[in-house]
Amino acid sequence: MFRTLLNKLSTVPSSCGFHTTACLNEVRLLTRLRVVDNSEIGKRAMAEGKPPKVICVYNKKGVGYIGDRVMVAIKGQKKKGILVGLKQTQKVKVPKFDSNNVVLIDDNGTPLGSRIHVPIPTILRTVLKERTHAKGADYTKLLAIATRFV
Amino acid sequence: MALAIRRTSDILCAARWLIRRDCRVLSTLPEKAEISQEVVVRRPAGRRPIANEAVLESRHIYPEFLPDPNPDWRNSLREKLERADMLKRRSQIDIPEFYVGSILAVTISDPHAQTKTTRFVGICIERKGCGLRAEFTLRNVVDHQGVEVRYDLYDPTIQKIQVLRLEKRLDEKLLYLRDALPEYSTFPFDMDPEILPEGTPVPINPVQVKLKPRPWLEKWERQELKGVSNIEEHLKGKDRIRRELRKTPWEKYDLMKQYRKTIPIEDQSEIWAEVHNQLQQLQLSRKKMARKRTFTAPKPQLG
Amino acid sequence: MNQAEVSKLVSKLRIKVPAEPRKLRSPKGPEGRIDKLRKTVTGLIKYERIELNHNRGDEARQYAERLISEAIRYGDCHKPTMDVANYWLLEKELIHKLFKVLVPRFENCNTAYTRMLNAPRPLPSRVDDKVVLELRGNPYPSLVNRQSNNRLLIQNVLLDAAKYDYRQSKYAEMAEKIGQREEAQALEKKSKEPTKESSNESKTPEI
Repeated sequence: MFRTLLNKLSTVPSSCGFHTTACLNEVRLLTRLRVVDNSEIGKRAMAEGKPPKVICVYNKKGVGYIGDRVMVAIKGQKKKGILVGLKQTQKVKVPKFDSNNVVLIDDNGTPLGSRIHVPIPTILRTVLKERTHAKGADYTKLLAIATRFV
Repeated sequence: MALAIRRTSDILCAARWLIRRDCRVLSTLPEKAEISQEVVVRRPAGRRPIANEAVLESRHIYPEFLPDPNPDWRNSLREKLERADMLKRRSQIDIPEFYVGSILAVTISDPHAQTKTTRFVGICIERKGCGLRAEFTLRNVVDHQGVEVRYDLYDPTIQKIQVLRLEKRLDEKLLYLRDALPEYSTFPFDMDPEILPEGTPVPINPVQVKLKPRPWLEKWERQELKGVSNIEEHLKGKDRIRRELRKTPWEKYDLMKQYRKTIPIEDQSEIWAEVHNQLQQLQLSRKKMARKRTFTAPKPQLG
Repeated sequence: MNQAEVSKLVSKLRIKVPAEPRKLRSPKGPEGRIDKLRKTVTGLIKYERIELNHNRGDEARQYAERLISEAIRYGDCHKPTMDVANYWLLEKELIHKLFKVLVPRFENCNTAYTRMLNAPRPLPSRVDDKVVLELRGNPYPSLVNRQSNNRLLIQNVLLDAAKYDYRQSKYAEMAEKIGQREEAQALEKKSKEPTKESSNESKTPEI
């Protein structure tokens, strides 16, 4: 029914094909994110209405999940960040957020801001501890600046 | 209340008696043949016995006890085992009566949290799944950030489910709250539970939410929602035309479509005959426990 | 796994219901499908026995069963049921037939309300399977030929009559024969009574 209606309405033939399923809201290349810490650059980017874009997801799937490291283009600079909340459907008991949230960090894993002003999923605690290596970057500093866990 | 319970138990007895009599119909023993004829005369198949109606009402409270209506996914043995497991879980933890639109507080044991438990408060926007796979979704706005958590109803890590406000809304699913203004899904975590007096029907909250301007997650204008007030403000002429084109007024009369979505009465009454008694007893024992807890006076302080 | 809908209660159908509905090809899409079925259901309620293609017959049968079971369950004072009947029956006098004739007829019925039988088709042809769809308890003669022992069948009546005639003629023949023999015996008795006794005596030792 829907297809037939589409054919009726659109002048282009249906073989050109656009899919009509609901979007998955995955974090991929060029996804716009929301900076949720109070770092100077992040606050200014959000205030100007130019939220950061993902230009690299540091995992092998190319799709960012909770706790994954991403590189973002923000105000003409390259910064790294950690995904702390996702819009896509999550597993049971893992919270799903209304926006894709990111916290900016530097190369050592130290957050650029000093406070996160939205809730953070508790599963992030385990995920970040796993990702932290003794001599590498320490991501658990991010947990210290979180205000609230859900 | 006690009277009502006695009456329902009477009805149950009557129903069970009927079933037993029916079983005799199936038996081939010659001495029982006369009785079976009597029963056939007394209970014509066309009319439903009135006794069933009260038992059938529990389908609103425990919808997950009904199996999936798709006959390809039915398996009577699995369903039976699942029901037994659900009853066992219900005897361990109080899973209260709640509906879409009720406000719940769920405490789970969480290995990731520092205190090893997490409590989340929110409005139930969706209930789905059947059997042990039944799940519900809670939504809340915390620090101006919308958060949704999906829970399995029979998850063993759930420590407590508390109903803070028992009510229904105008729609069967409240997914439009995602596109509504945040004040409609904001609930404080330290909310006090509101207690309904016993015997009152579950109130229906007639609140109509206001949607944020588009873009929306779904085409809400095509879903004939009752709980949204300002949907027309955000529509253009083209949207109205397409809504008219996509309308399916015949679906209301598609009798087989309705039939394929539901479990017929005969199947339902079999299921309720199996579990209704135990559910009632569980509910009663919970009530007794609650009463005991309210009567315990605090210990007098020494000194 | 979906949750069953609980807002409405339906009676169980006594026929086998396939998991998926059939698509009936129509340029109007799903609405056209329902329109086709409406016509068929109306025809079935009106004529009580119709012949049609298998696909459409089987699909219409389910809808007719549902309509009758709804009418039995809720009666004619229930507004939604009345709406449904009004939608499905295109000729409005049939609504009265549904509630006043069919509901009393099927109220105490333990089986399905309709019956579907395969109809014969002309052999060298590429037509679809035909079926005959009928309401149970219709006034027409039965289609099922289980009457080989029925005495009222014309063949059986004729055979019975023939047998009767044959038997009557045989009886007549026998009666005639007996009459002739008796006459002959009477004549013999009259003429030689003493000799008969002697002959009887002479016969017995032989046996």
